[in-house]
Amino acid sequence: MKILLVTQTRNKKGQAARSEQQIVADALRIGRGTDCKLFLPDPRVALHHAQIRHGTDGSNYIEADAGVISVDGSLNRAGKLQAGQRILIGPYEIIVLPAQPDVDLALSLELIEPLREGVEEVRSKVRAGLKNTWLSRRLFSWVAATMVLLAFIAWPVMHATSPDKSPERIENLKADITPDASWDVGPLASAHAGFGRDCGKCHQQPFVQVMNQACEDCHKTIGWHFPLRTPEAKAVHAAVFPDTRCASCHRDHKGPNGLVRTDATLCTDCHRDLKTRHAKSGLPDISDFSKDHPAFMLSILQPGRRGDAAIVRVPQEGKAAPRENSGLKFPHKTHLDKKGVRSPDGTVTLECSNCHLRDEAGIRFKPVTMKDHCQRCHSLEFEPKVTTRQVPHGKVGDVLATLNEFYAQAALADTPIDVVVEANIRRPGERLAETKRQAALTWAADKADRIAHDLFEVRVCFLCHQITPVVSDTNATTIATAVATLVAAPAADSRPASWTVAPVAVTQHWLPKSRFPHSQHETFECAKCHQVANSKTSADIAIPDLKNCRECHGGNQPSRDKARGTCETCHGFHTGSHKAGVPAIVPGGNLPKVTQAAPDATGGGAKK
Amino acid sequence: MRHRTILEYKHYRYLKLAAFVAIIAIVAYAVYSTPVGRYGGSPMGYALGTVGALLILWLMWFGIRKRQYRGSSGNIQGWLSGHVYLGTALIVIATLHSGFQVGWNVHTLAYVLMLLVIFSGFYGLYAYLRVPPLMTANLGDDTLDSIILKIADIDRDARRLAVGMPDNINRVIQDSVEGTRIGGGVLAQLTGRVRHCPTARAVTDIQAAVRQFKGDEARANKDLYALMLRKQKLVERARIDIRYQAILNFWLYLHVPLTLALLAALTAHIIAVFFYW
Repeated sequence: MKILLVTQTRNKKGQAARSEQQIVADALRIGRGTDCKLFLPDPRVALHHAQIRHGTDGSNYIEADAGVISVDGSLNRAGKLQAGQRILIGPYEIIVLPAQPDVDLALSLELIEPLREGVEEVRSKVRAGLKNTWLSRRLFSWVAATMVLLAFIAWPVMHATSPDKSPERIENLKADITPDASWDVGPLASAHAGFGRDCGKCHQQPFVQVMNQACEDCHKTIGWHFPLRTPEAKAVHAAVFPDTRCASCHRDHKGPNGLVRTDATLCTDCHRDLKTRHAKSGLPDISDFSKDHPAFMLSILQPGRRGDAAIVRVPQEGKAAPRENSGLKFPHKTHLDKKGVRSPDGTVTLECSNCHLRDEAGIRFKPVTMKDHCQRCHSLEFEPKVTTRQVPHGKVGDVLATLNEFYAQAALADTPIDVVVEANIRRPGERLAETKRQAALTWAADKADRIAHDLFEVRVCFLCHQITPVVSDTNATTIATAVATLVAAPAADSRPASWTVAPVAVTQHWLPKSRFPHSQHETFECAKCHQVANSKTSADIAIPDLKNCRECHGGNQPSRDKARGTCETCHGFHTGSHKAGVPAIVPGGNLPKVTQAAPDATGGGAKK
Repeated sequence: MRHRTILEYKHYRYLKLAAFVAIIAIVAYAVYSTPVGRYGGSPMGYALGTVGALLILWLMWFGIRKRQYRGSSGNIQGWLSGHVYLGTALIVIATLHSGFQVGWNVHTLAYVLMLLVIFSGFYGLYAYLRVPPLMTANLGDDTLDSIILKIADIDRDARRLAVGMPDNINRVIQDSVEGTRIGGGVLAQLTGRVRHCPTARAVTDIQAAVRQFKGDEARANKDLYALMLRKQKLVERARIDIRYQAILNFWLYLHVPLTLALLAALTAHIIAVFFYW
């Protein structure tokens, strides 16, 4: 077959040029191979891509060989060529031209997709630098910073500045954490943990330190460091504690036990040299319990003349040993006799705990009372033949009235009483004659007087109390004299008309400015600290002294074989924090009066 | 003269300064204590916190300063040296400021972010000291551009040679020319590896086909093999170079956003502490 090939080319400026050539071949081989009559030197063309044959019917046929051909846009393996057809072989376009004379086939050839080659082609496949990836510092920065700002500033601030401050708002929050939980700097004290979700309970104003008011909302009764009863005391307090807030010492968010300071410096910062803080202070300087703690100051209750009592403060280690004047007689030695003491149950050996019972707090002891601790042995019976009756443990007048009433009743009663041996016994229903009645009353008054004398001065009251006879008493309140006047009987003898009982003031708290939990010292015998086995008088004071405490307690610094002994071990900072129920003592001030009904005071001068 | 790193700048001037600052902080922390312990809210805590916050702002200023080519306050080498050493001292100051107290809160968040920023900085410092010599060793007299030029030459030569070769050989050459990618996504850049690299396949395929050919074709095949082998080495070096560049830059994608997050957390920390004073 004979083929006319028109090759179209373009120069760099895009100008077209054409060249013609005639090819004679049995079949027109098309391909990259050098043996191909239609040689297409491009890597995208197969070595033997396709071939065109001249059919016996005069038509021309194309047939794919190792490559892929596209005829008029559709991929074909083979096909009959017709004028105007567009055949694509790799990057080449072949157009079947209209039939021409002298040739069997006319084709136009053009390279329509030149091979892209060179540096730019390689460079297009190179992607270097992280800035050409999806990574973006700017985007990441904005996202991270915005998230932090929203979560940890905007959200908490919106919550904290919400006008609704009601506790219900916090309680109704469904989430486990509140928006401002991320601001929490540490676990709250156990007592405050209950309302820990409500930060605003304490932090009442933004950018203002926690105010005392927030503390006092709950802690209404907490005392100052010393009582602020006088203007002077207030002035001293203001000078010594300028700008001191509750939170200056009580720092919360320091764990369950972190709220209360127990370090020695809380006290010794000032008390090691108190004059520099308050020139007029009369208190001694203390820096360490183990070094310079002064002798304990005992607070001793002193009975007054008018039935009142006052506390006097006496150093325990003064020139003379302090004595207690309780108005009672009580020899510990007698009661703690190892051989025992007589009792209604026979001979018993008493122990401390028979009379001294721990109070509910386990700190000190309940007061010893006549009724609970003495009266079982020290009975107040007065008539040996009537053991069911006792005089009241109370006012002298009540005792005398009981006696007079008892014996008058006996003398006048319809029913004879076996004790009334000297009165005439009447028949039942017999009316008592006036003379006999007078005689009976005279007898009763006389009998009552004698028994009273016996009780007060010889057998009973005298044993524990200081009794003073009142010889010429015009006090009409005494029933014995009233009765005597009534019956106009002359005084039988010079027996006293009445008695006075010395006021009783038993000190209940010897060291009210300290706390001493007895429950924490149970491992020791009472006698380790309280030596009373040989005490013959109630004036002896058996409160252990400084030396006794120092046997076990060290000072500010830990020491070998000693328990800690910082200020806070025994003392509290706030008045009232260490001495429940005991009135405050003003150092150097007037002693406060303690109301104490003297004669009917609960008895027992026992020492703690 | 031996090359001096930024760590040795002016005879360790900033190392000395940072050590001095850290020691002062440690001594102050050790000496000063409150009855309720050492913590951020104590006077010493406030002092350490203030120093730490100002230090953070100064360290962040480096990000701005390094872009100012006409800065009058010292040269950029000195700034970087100070940035590294004082940034390290910040660990000491901030830890002492915290009083070693941590919790699930914004305060510890700020502390942790600060540590992340500093440790990412340590990695950056390591990269800056370690990677440039490796880059030089890898590139030799070349640059990434010169390698690309060489690859382009090889591609052209290989194509010409392959045109006369059987289709299977021509195809792998064509694939190598058109499909060999250098660099690419984050992972490709950081690892320096591309799976199913056409050039690597061309090398093995051409080698496997060596017995098919005789005469001119065998010679051409041998030449193609040499070309592809050279190309493979060049491509590998280009990828390693891109990997080194990525390593030199990647840590900054942590360092900078974490720094901005730290700035936000630090602000939240300060606001929180004084809002609920």
